[in-house]
Amino acid sequence: MSILAIHPGAYYHIETLEGARYQGMFDALVRPEELGDVDLAAFDAILVPCRTPADRMTPHKAKLAAFLDAGGTVIATGESESQLWLPGISFSSQDTNFWWWLTPGADLGVRIAKPEHPLFQRLEQRDLTWHLHGWFEAPEGAEVLAVNGAGKPILYIDEVTTGGQMILTTLDPFYHHGSHFMPATTRFLDGFLPWIRETFAATAVESA
Amino acid sequence: MSVLFVHSHYGPIPKAMVGPAGRGRIEIVRDTELTDAKIISAKGIVTTTHLDQIGFAGHKQALADFFADGGRLFFNGHILKPFVDGLQAYRPLQSRKLADLQLARLSPHPVFGDIDPADMAVRKGVAGFYGRGHNPLPKGARALTGIGPLKEPIDWEWALPNGGMMFCHAGNDLWSMAPEGSDGAGAFATRIVDWTWGGLKGVAA
Repeated sequence: MSILAIHPGAYYHIETLEGARYQGMFDALVRPEELGDVDLAAFDAILVPCRTPADRMTPHKAKLAAFLDAGGTVIATGESESQLWLPGISFSSQDTNFWWWLTPGADLGVRIAKPEHPLFQRLEQRDLTWHLHGWFEAPEGAEVLAVNGAGKPILYIDEVTTGGQMILTTLDPFYHHGSHFMPATTRFLDGFLPWIRETFAATAVESA
Repeated sequence: MSVLFVHSHYGPIPKAMVGPAGRGRIEIVRDTELTDAKIISAKGIVTTTHLDQIGFAGHKQALADFFADGGRLFFNGHILKPFVDGLQAYRPLQSRKLADLQLARLSPHPVFGDIDPADMAVRKGVAGFYGRGHNPLPKGARALTGIGPLKEPIDWEWALPNGGMMFCHAGNDLWSMAPEGSDGAGAFATRIVDWTWGGLKGVAA
């Protein structure tokens, strides 16, 4: 049992999914167009990285829903319009302020909402803080892990909408880590991916 | 004959390319719909930083034929799946302090117009948006812009040995790098499309 990662093929996907730092975190990589041919019963979790073009995922909407209802886990990071190909997601985009940190004493507003969650044994608030592209309205009963300055969810776990679970964030760490830009995104993946691995794969591995 | 703009991300095409598209100067094609036949029949190709490089490298023979027929490719981004013989994988800067991210013009090129590279190195006082490394210079290519103290070639132009030309920018889409107060992203994009058509002369031998 293991983790399948979707590989859309942009340079930042190649760097993050195939590069030495994280390649051991994924048991198999699949192109979006080949997802229809994969027996998903062989996997515990499917990870969809940031900036996966939504029109390359929408053909698989029904298959992903069936995977979830069979108890599977889908993890989707930001800027992939996951509301178009996963069930029960309410997403609002926002203009991104890339420059907030230039103001002395400025605070992006990101907060850890559930510090007792095991993920936060690996991540601190600063590891979730680079910029924001939007927020969710999480369904009632979802476990909200992090919020923006207005208290809106930017990272949550949904075990109520389907028979499985969805781990969803508006943050876009794969894109920026893969672009060699914004060290917080690398710190995020250094904690997030081992936690995913520890939680959903039979063999836990440590990040490089 | 047309210049293909390979549209790789989900959503509208970049604003800077709306003008060239409206004037019929580029033909928009999703990278998932790119075929060998479209590549071979194109006059030029413009790709973005979001290019599906695995899919693109799958057209290697068609791209070789495209270049041999005199085609021009304007490439933005980090090459990680070389799609033409002579290309090598992107090399990120090992140090990314302010001095490491300064830009220098190594050879003039009509695509840049009168834009000073120093004006593209910093945005709101922050460096790094232009790029943070380089795609190694192919044999015979001409370096246009250097980054850092070693002036590593972040922009270059290459006249391929069997014909055709490639302009390579190892960073975010070049048209989006027009500095505030310059002639703007639209004019930059127009020059990039003109070059890809062959209307602007290259400088590589």
